[in-house]
Amino acid sequence: MKKTPHLSALAILAASVAMPAMAQETLTISVYALAQDAYKAALYDPFEKLCGCKLVIETGNSVERMAKIEANAADPVIDVAVISAHDALALARKDLIADLDISKISSYDALYPAAQDPIGGHKALGYTFYASSIVYRSDLVKIESWGDLLGNAVKGRVALPNITGTQGPLTLDMINRAAGRSGVDFTQTINDVATHADDIVTFYSRSSELVQLMNQEEVIAAPVGRFAWGSFAKSNLPFAWAEPKEGQAGGMNVILMTKGNGNEDLAYKFIDYWLSDEVQTRVAEAKIDSPANKNVVVSDELAASLTYGAELINSLQILAPADIIDNRDAWVEQWNNKVIK
Amino acid sequence: MFHNRNEGLALALPAAIFTGLLFLLPVGILLSEAFQVDDGWSLMGYVDFAKKPLNQKVFLRTLKLGALVAMTAAIIGYAAAFCITNLDSKARGRVFGLVVLPLMISPVARTYAWIVILGRTGIVNDAIMGLGLSDTPIRILFTETAVFLGLLQLFLPLMIISLVSAMENLPKDAIPAARVLGANWFQVFTKVILPLTKEGLVMGGTLVFTGSLTAYITPAILGGSKVLMLETLLYQRVNVANDFVSAGIIATILIGMSFSANLLLKRIATARK
Repeated sequence: MKKTPHLSALAILAASVAMPAMAQETLTISVYALAQDAYKAALYDPFEKLCGCKLVIETGNSVERMAKIEANAADPVIDVAVISAHDALALARKDLIADLDISKISSYDALYPAAQDPIGGHKALGYTFYASSIVYRSDLVKIESWGDLLGNAVKGRVALPNITGTQGPLTLDMINRAAGRSGVDFTQTINDVATHADDIVTFYSRSSELVQLMNQEEVIAAPVGRFAWGSFAKSNLPFAWAEPKEGQAGGMNVILMTKGNGNEDLAYKFIDYWLSDEVQTRVAEAKIDSPANKNVVVSDELAASLTYGAELINSLQILAPADIIDNRDAWVEQWNNKVIK
Repeated sequence: MFHNRNEGLALALPAAIFTGLLFLLPVGILLSEAFQVDDGWSLMGYVDFAKKPLNQKVFLRTLKLGALVAMTAAIIGYAAAFCITNLDSKARGRVFGLVVLPLMISPVARTYAWIVILGRTGIVNDAIMGLGLSDTPIRILFTETAVFLGLLQLFLPLMIISLVSAMENLPKDAIPAARVLGANWFQVFTKVILPLTKEGLVMGGTLVFTGSLTAYITPAILGGSKVLMLETLLYQRVNVANDFVSAGIIATILIGMSFSANLLLKRIATARK
């Protein structure tokens, strides 16, 4: 009998501890590991304050994160993911992502047209664009075409992205265009790269690797995404961003919701918040990602370090996600057989 | 030592459970995937892997570099071990400390140092151009030479430690006796030192060879994707293609190569008796 008051007190105590945790909703998001401190300040903390919920952030490379989404398809542990457009299409083809009800995305009309339905079926929305061009040492060489990457001026001092990364296919596409070819059969372009393989210092996998090689003067020209330009711009060496006559390549990252995650209402709120004028401006001002929302206005100085503005975005040569997914295995196979010696 | 056999077994049990559950079982499950095709057991994965020209190149390169690093480490290691064992005890301790010192520094830091040394503006190219051997810097980074140098620097201490340990057990008068009986230094090495220190050579050779096969950081940084080795190919298959079957096949091949190297070296050592 004497135990009852103690048990009651313990039960009340346990309930009081558990209640706030039970009451607080959680949303699990899967994101790139880059710039997480900046994202926390610009997006995660303000959203948690707004919704009174808790965000669980999972980071990793695309392959790991996609594998996790696939492995937990029956009972998703990830609610929202950001990923490249072609990786999103790969998930969509495996029926792992939900159709989005765009009536719940108030920022939808503010997105650039290319970001409104990048993989078809309203399964994802673009949240950032990135241009890709060639960064080069302006005191040593002048780059005017993607074809210059295989020319004598940079022989022995050029690096190309590896075919297995995001930048690899974009570079092949642009070298293909520079040679006057079109389409996504890169056989001849891969043969051309193979012919010049000994003149190429390395096939890099991470932009940070390239920054080091260029600062060490090992490499004087290489294709890279605009998101890495900041690391070159603050160097003491005279680096320049090429504007090749074939134009700049481009890509888009998208935000999506996993199928059957059971947390759809909160997921919609988060996606809408990320794409809003307010957050897209904050993210751009922090130089984390370039905006996909056309209402974002930034200074000329800031615009120079981003992939910004309708004119630039509309001019980007973006490889269709379906072309990448349908041909990537063949490109890698050809690359491995001919280029890697 | 123990009152009964069970006491010894009881002491070994925690380590055995730990190793079994947290190492052998997961590794076994992972490797078994490399033998599974459509819910059945098959070696077809290995056949397909072996047919690809890139895999053949990478396998042969890994084998070649592992063997070259082990042989070069043995040559340098014998010379260093001979010198160290002939020093007085105070100097021996200091020199031995210098040999062990690199093992206390992260392989990442040691490998990045090679980028500075071997780069176009590094001291090797400065020396080559200073001596008039070349008008322009030569490319060493992202070549097999760079990977070879990195691996040799990484694993040479293991060979020296093994050989110093073996040479310390060499009878003090064995070499003077051979010399008095008319043996030249080559004969002293092949007829006296080598047979009496073969256990150290087998240990050092196995450590250096298997270390070179399974090293990731050094081939990844100094070789990149132009000088793929099995370990960097394994990483690429998992992290780029999410292809755990190929990764399991590569892991099985690496384990097989390590065991084979150890057995081969032991057999060579035994055959000299």
